[in-house]
Amino acid sequence: MGDRLTQLQDAADQLVHQFIACYYYIERRHELETFGPNDKIHDLKDNPKELDSLPPDVFQAGQLELARDLITKEQQIEYLISSLPGLDNSEHDQEQLIKDLEEELRVAEAQRLDAIKEKDEILVRLDQVLRSIRRN
Amino acid sequence: MENMEEDSSRAPLLWPDPPPFWKDFTPDNIASFDRLKHDYAQQQGLDDSDVLLRILDLPEYLLDLQPPREPEERKWRLFSVVHSLNDELQSLEAMGIQRLGPLNERDRDGKHMDRAFELKRQAKSILLNFLELMGVMSYNPSHGAEKVKDLDTLLLNFQHILNEYRPHQAREQLIQLMQDQLDNKRAETAAVRGVVDKAKRALEGLGSMEIPPPTTPERESSSMMKASELGDGVKDGVPHWERQNIDFALLDGDFV
Repeated sequence: MGDRLTQLQDAADQLVHQFIACYYYIERRHELETFGPNDKIHDLKDNPKELDSLPPDVFQAGQLELARDLITKEQQIEYLISSLPGLDNSEHDQEQLIKDLEEELRVAEAQRLDAIKEKDEILVRLDQVLRSIRRN
Repeated sequence: MENMEEDSSRAPLLWPDPPPFWKDFTPDNIASFDRLKHDYAQQQGLDDSDVLLRILDLPEYLLDLQPPREPEERKWRLFSVVHSLNDELQSLEAMGIQRLGPLNERDRDGKHMDRAFELKRQAKSILLNFLELMGVMSYNPSHGAEKVKDLDTLLLNFQHILNEYRPHQAREQLIQLMQDQLDNKRAETAAVRGVVDKAKRALEGLGSMEIPPPTTPERESSSMMKASELGDGVKDGVPHWERQNIDFALLDGDFV
């Protein structure tokens, strides 16, 4: 799980892989057809080896599934595009934001150190009190 | 070398040995190199933190500690791929690919909505071109190559826009990280403050108590009762102050 851009680039690669898979499916699994009435389909035994026909209905179902997958992947890509981070920030906005955050971080750090100092002081006082109780 | 040949049990290595000069990087050598570099820099009136600083008359045994010069043409080859010193994203034109979208000038105030729009457009084009490729292949396979080239161009353009977007995303991530850090710091401060306040109240409670008479038989129970304002009194046989101490010890571990 990478960042959005990497996801998007991976998705694009997957889309291409799907293209190739679809291409091979159609190329290898189609039925033999005649172009004109004079053509003849040779005996199936003479089928070239690279062709492994499926019955028409199975072939079409497969085609449909592959097409659906393509659309799904496409939609996924578009979704990823719309969720790219900071689409409505310009570079200038980003720099301003970073500067503001830097300042806020400095303030917060100072406050944190203050609080810790106070905590240490109170710890010492509490310790003293408890010691005195124990001695009593 | 002799050792290696004698040692027949040495398994054939998957990776070659590192170059022999790694042995020169002993702590002594590194220290003397640093000293030399420092002296040299002072002599020449240069800044010795400059990594590109080169000492000219270096003793031979330290030669390998000095990084080599930058390549003069600002380019070098690694695994037959040419790299250049200023690692910039190559433009599409430089890679010999037709640019499909508008040229994105470095517009600092520009929003990136256009880029997203362009990406979506190209994603749709890719799908459409695949469909066309399927059509062309079924009618006239000899024209398929052109379509494949179109698809190629589209995909490369798509990836290129994404790569152009990387610096933007990096800044965006930085902002996110800083925001998280800020939130964490604030939460931590609030938590510490909360505990401190609680402890202060407990101390005030203790301060307003009378000191129990030291030798009464109920000494134990009375101090316990009063101190129970601190917390819940005794639990599991551990006296409250002990527990309080433990609590603070835990806090220390958490926050310091």
